[in-house]
Amino acid sequence: MKEIFVDLDKCVGCLTCTLACAAEHSNSKDIVGAMLEKVRSRIAVESVGGKPVPLMCRHCEEPACVDACMTGAMQKDKVTGIVTNEGHEQKCVGCWMCIMACPYGVITPVEGETRLALKCDRCGGKEVPACVASCPQGALIYDEAKVVAELRRHNAAQLAMSKAV
Amino acid sequence: MNYVIIGNSAAGVKCAETIREVDRQGNITIITDEAYHAYSKCLLPDYLSGDRDEDTIRIRNLDFYSQNRITTYFGVKAQKINPAQKIVALENGKTIPYDKLLIATGSRSFIPPIPGIEGENIFGLRNLDDAKKILQALPGVRRAVVIGGGFVGLEAAYALYSRGVELTVVEKLPQILPSQFDAKAAKILEKDMLCEGIRIITGNGIKEIINPGIWQKMFGKKGKGVRLEDGETLKCELIIVATGTKANTELVQGTAIKVNRGIVVDEFMQTDEPDIYAAGDVVETIDAVTGQRKLTPIWPNAVVQGRIAGLNMAGIQKPYTALVGMQNAVEFREIPAIAAGLTEAGEGLEEIVIENQAQNKYKKLVMKDNRLVGMILVGDIRQAGVYNTLIKNKIDISRNKEFLFKEDFNFGYFLA
Ligand SMILES: Cc1cc2nc3c(=O)[nH]c(=O)nc-3n(C[C@H](O)[C@H](O)[C@H](O)COP(=O)(O)OP(=O)(O)OC[C@H]3O[C@@H](n4cnc5c(N)ncnc54)[C@H](O)[C@@H]3O)c2cc1C
Ligand code: SF4
Ligand code: SF4
Repeated sequence: MKEIFVDLDKCVGCLTCTLACAAEHSNSKDIVGAMLEKVRSRIAVESVGGKPVPLMCRHCEEPACVDACMTGAMQKDKVTGIVTNEGHEQKCVGCWMCIMACPYGVITPVEGETRLALKCDRCGGKEVPACVASCPQGALIYDEAKVVAELRRHNAAQLAMSKAV
Repeated sequence: MNYVIIGNSAAGVKCAETIREVDRQGNITIITDEAYHAYSKCLLPDYLSGDRDEDTIRIRNLDFYSQNRITTYFGVKAQKINPAQKIVALENGKTIPYDKLLIATGSRSFIPPIPGIEGENIFGLRNLDDAKKILQALPGVRRAVVIGGGFVGLEAAYALYSRGVELTVVEKLPQILPSQFDAKAAKILEKDMLCEGIRIITGNGIKEIINPGIWQKMFGKKGKGVRLEDGETLKCELIIVATGTKANTELVQGTAIKVNRGIVVDEFMQTDEPDIYAAGDVVETIDAVTGQRKLTPIWPNAVVQGRIAGLNMAGIQKPYTALVGMQNAVEFREIPAIAAGLTEAGEGLEEIVIENQAQNKYKKLVMKDNRLVGMILVGDIRQAGVYNTLIKNKIDISRNKEFLFKEDFNFGYFLA
């Protein structure tokens, strides 16, 4: 199964991926429309000591968010591996149980008329997710884990943490 | 292989689903004394408030049982287990043979021995039938008293309040949410509920409940009353008792299975009897922080335990890794709040608190020997899962301690 990987050395923090994500999840499918519709990005580029770090859902093998979801809305698709709380018979209540469970902190609580735990849905199964396609630096890679393993080894801290969780 | 599961909720459903993923052939049977398709007990407050109905509290699609080829006995209580003959006797006289059995009977409302508590219009809130009874009693109810300022009590209060009932919550201890939130966090949440219009009385227990007949004699009025320990009386027409839960362990009486406050299981969720497993609110497991055996009656833990039990029942050996006991209290109006692990100062514990009263933000991290062992987050909960993982996995934070308190702390700090 393909995953989205981040090459931290390449990311320059231009936020193009966040705009592409918002556009993809807007009705208009473009950046201006997304802004008008106030669509939020599901990928965050955090600044860590001045260094940009894109963070997004990893669509875990055994997703803690799915275990924690008390409505059954959060599900992992058996075929595509996509973890999402949208498009199912069970609807999200915004109880934030999943937020308490996700080890990577990549679910955003959205309050408002309807509460929704907002997260990456891997563009509903698009061949290449919008964020990956948009990144001008090639810092986002969508591929099989073993292909990217070399890159992963690059970052000891990430490895230590992902082993631990 | 005959897999039999008693209990059709978080743990039981996850167990059945997991077994079906790894064993396409085996027979799976679920027995439950409730007459409903699996639903979420956590959504009962939403059902009470009218935000959800029977269809929208279901945790699986309607065809879940047929899709997974699960035989169901709904509305039938399992009466007895016979480990020697490997059968479960149902209350309707039927016996069901098993090769592997899961006990996922959960817990029930603990009703304290208060004089008058057996009277009319006094309910616990644990299952759908309780919620239905409360709704049936609602016409004619102007005032209600909730006994217990824990999670379920506050959620029930909030739900009924949104239906226009005047609510008073009475908590014996000096603060609401006493089991995991500290006084400061509780105060923020209490203020929020008070502003909403819910009355909260803390540090005062219930002496007795005066039911209608006597009430009328004493006060010449209809309705009932709650007399508090300090002598004050509260008038009301409905009482909800939310003073905690008790594990449903009766089924294993008379077997070799060890029971403390819950059923004792090993890391494979197996009990002392061969081929009998247990999971969910009914079991005691080792807590990740304290290393002690205890009940952690929350939904995520029940699900994970159900999955681990299912795998082991189906022959795939997999241990349960200790989880952290946690609470979230986000259903109360606007301020989200989450607590996990040890949240009160103690021997060898170091705690750091950051607060911003104007924004109703409060963050407390409790550490021991360079490990995070507990947290309270009020107002901003986005990184709760990251902290929770640091606690669960006992990650050494000596090198990145200062990150944890940053306003914008996030997982990225471990990567950059
Ligand atoms: C109002 C409310 C709000 C809650 N909110 C939250 C929340 O926000 N977050 C959270 O993490 N947790 C919450 N919880 C707790 C959560 O619901 C439980 O942790 C979870 O339901 C435990 O699941 P379980 O499968 O172990 O058992 P249960 O859900 O208790 O289910 C056990 C089932 O077994 C049945 N049973 C028992 N004995 C027998 C028998 N002899 N024969 C046949 N059937 C039997 C019972 O009737 C019941 O249906 C809440 C609970 C309540 C009541
Ligand atoms: S939201 Fe978090 S826990 Fe859920 S699949 Fe994504 S990374 Fe994993
Ligand atoms: S916030 Fe939504 S997706 Fe997350 S646990 Fe609650 S209901 Fe499930």
